[in-house]
Amino acid sequence: MIEFDKFTLDNGLKVIVHRDATTPLAAVNILYNIGARDENPDQTGFAHLFEHLMFGGSVNIPNYDEPLQQVGGDNNAWTSNDVTNYYLTVPKENLETAFWLESDRMLSLDFTEKSLEVQKSVVIEEFKQHYFNQPYGDVWLHLRPLAYKKHPYQWATIGKCIEHIEEATLQDVKDFFFHHYAPNNAVLVVSGHVETEEVKQLAEKWFGPIERRSIAPRNLPLEPKQTEFRSLRLERNVPYDAIYMAFHMGSRSDEDFYKVDLLSDILSNGQSSRIFQTLVKEKNLFSTIDAYLTGDFDPGLFIVSGKLTEGVSMEDAEIAIWEVLNAVSETKAGAYELQKVKNKVESTLVFSEISFLNKAMTLAQHEVNGDANDINLEVEKYNKVTTENLQEMARKILIKKNCSTLYYYAKKQ
Amino acid sequence: MESLNRTHPPQFKTIEHVDIPRSKQEVLSNQIPVHIIAGGSQDVLKIEIIFNAGLWYHKAPLIAGTCNSMLNEGTEKYSAAELAEKFDFYGAYITYNNSQHDASVCLYTLNKYLDETLDLLEEIVKHPTFPEKEFKTILNNKKQNFLVNREKTNALAKEKFNGIIYGEKHPYANVFDAKVFDQLQLDDVKNFYKDFYTPDNCHIIVSGKMNESVLPQLENRFGATAWEGKVSDYQPKHELKSSSAKKLFAHKKGAVQSSVRIGRPLFNKKHPDFAGFMLLNLVLGGYFGSRLMQNIREDKGYTYGINSVLLSHLNSGHFAIITEVGTDVCQAAISEIYKEIARLREELVPESELNLVKNFFSGEMLRSFDSPFALSESLRGNLPFGFDNSYYENLLQELKRVNSEQIRELANKYLQEEDLFEVIAGEIKA
Repeated sequence: MIEFDKFTLDNGLKVIVHRDATTPLAAVNILYNIGARDENPDQTGFAHLFEHLMFGGSVNIPNYDEPLQQVGGDNNAWTSNDVTNYYLTVPKENLETAFWLESDRMLSLDFTEKSLEVQKSVVIEEFKQHYFNQPYGDVWLHLRPLAYKKHPYQWATIGKCIEHIEEATLQDVKDFFFHHYAPNNAVLVVSGHVETEEVKQLAEKWFGPIERRSIAPRNLPLEPKQTEFRSLRLERNVPYDAIYMAFHMGSRSDEDFYKVDLLSDILSNGQSSRIFQTLVKEKNLFSTIDAYLTGDFDPGLFIVSGKLTEGVSMEDAEIAIWEVLNAVSETKAGAYELQKVKNKVESTLVFSEISFLNKAMTLAQHEVNGDANDINLEVEKYNKVTTENLQEMARKILIKKNCSTLYYYAKKQ
Repeated sequence: MESLNRTHPPQFKTIEHVDIPRSKQEVLSNQIPVHIIAGGSQDVLKIEIIFNAGLWYHKAPLIAGTCNSMLNEGTEKYSAAELAEKFDFYGAYITYNNSQHDASVCLYTLNKYLDETLDLLEEIVKHPTFPEKEFKTILNNKKQNFLVNREKTNALAKEKFNGIIYGEKHPYANVFDAKVFDQLQLDDVKNFYKDFYTPDNCHIIVSGKMNESVLPQLENRFGATAWEGKVSDYQPKHELKSSSAKKLFAHKKGAVQSSVRIGRPLFNKKHPDFAGFMLLNLVLGGYFGSRLMQNIREDKGYTYGINSVLLSHLNSGHFAIITEVGTDVCQAAISEIYKEIARLREELVPESELNLVKNFFSGEMLRSFDSPFALSESLRGNLPFGFDNSYYENLLQELKRVNSEQIRELANKYLQEEDLFEVIAGEIKA
């Protein structure tokens, strides 16, 4: 049970406070409800590029990082297809510095050509480092557009291509800021060694004066139901063949999410899972293989991805995966097996609650996706799942006409 | 309402002193030291048994690491599949760690299943069976991971860099070829276990929510009457031998970025210059505000990231600047790196910058010691040097006393350009 207080400022900023006195630190996590899915299809990678620009100085503070480091703080941020999340930790005595810095960059940025040019280069290097200079690095650049034809999940947060980043202009950047960055489009979570009263005061003082902005309601195209099997074949300079299968499923806030999550756990969470035991240990068909959910806010994907053992053919590997997937559709899982994955979910939760920063991030995501208190209802939702549910989900999701498969071949030298 | 001054930073406090909770030391009847770090908000425990069984002690590559991994692959009571089944059922995690000098088995468990999971840990540590089939599987999977990893320019650069500063055969470099995977014999792995996974060659670190049953449990399972074996008297000799050629280019065809490592062999944390050099390292490349990051990323945009590290081994250590840069700007980036090093040799670091770095480091200390598990991690690193975690309190005090003149002296003493090694892995464009 994670206890927290919640209040909303007049300008619409939602504030959540979670006290954890076991740490001498405080975390400040600000989540903006803007992600790669909100981008124009001809200007992708923008939410992420923008995240970089948020560190280029704000209207009253020329340098974001220095004053934070000066008080012993550290920070970072990440962008997903759904949201952009900024977080920092400071010694609890210096909490106000965090409010000063974060409120100023919510107020307005110091937009400069220089900062934009540099961060475009940095992001292009990031693009190369993660997507082109790693074996199997470009998988998601191809798997997304294979699985999504209409919904903006068809591009990765880094963007469709380097050109989109190169073409960004300062005017685009300014427009983006004032359309998406606003107190009424953000959730602020403060966790750690803090008092709610103190946070309330600081929030009113620093964030209170920022004016509400007009935020256009999100109106994203729905992904039409997939009706036939899709596939794509790629050949790359990698040592081993690999296979990536993507199945459409519901969104993170769906009641069904918990059923599908446990289904993926039975298949792939831990070394005792079906996929690992059958395909890695018994049959030696894969050197690594995983099944997991993307957990997106809009309808997401159930992924199975694996690297083939040398000498195994793509056909045999694919058939073997389908055998494991079909088995969960055909035969109900046992009560013991279900209990096992439920235990594991509970334990994962207990371990994840060690970190006060982790708790802040999770609270923020639950809040923006519905209600922060959902964090405390999850165990119960998982516990309600039955073996019938698992079978029902497998029959609905893990079927061929709902599947997009990427065959990733090692180029013969 | 009083008007808000957004241009001036709020008052702040400098962290003068970091209180690091001490570990308590107990000992089992067979003299196995048990270090205890009690605390935390969750009802969980981490129990790590650490053996002097790192790759320092093996006679051929892969033996130590494979031995460590094979502990997971079956015991007298349980098959590998049964072990996995039980750990998953209890929601516990077991990890295997193999490093230069030591190797460990580490259990993370909910307190309510301590009995059941300790039983598994005991089996794994005392009665592994090293089955042939599992050996073949994990060896092949390790080989595939090795070959995939080798496709990465940063892995290639790391291997080459460690090879030229320590000597390829030295355990601190640990360079070997893929064919070693086909030559490894299961018997060598089994013998390594017999020689080094013994009660007189280990210590235990327990961290988390302690209760009174933990120690008696450990005594019953790992104490004198429960566990026998004597460590091998084999004392390997490994000579450090840096390469005479200081520059190396490893070609990776088609790479769109090159990985760069520039650095040198250095001392470890027992050396009197360590605290000073640590501060120097922070200024140069040890945090986001560092000079390398500000110049090469935030001003020039040559890279997504650049940093420098100071690494302590038991018998040596090294300093390295690490980055991945676009092939078209590789030479420009390298020349900026040398410029920044030269600035440290020639100019004094301004007082304000030095203070900022010291403040940042104090905050880092708070972050590093934030949970019993994190404390156990640091303790594990400190014990071989004869330190406990009070080492960090002393380090912080020492580091706060370092001044700009000392940093310039250290830069002149250790960072002359002719003493530095340089590895580039990737492509170079003219």
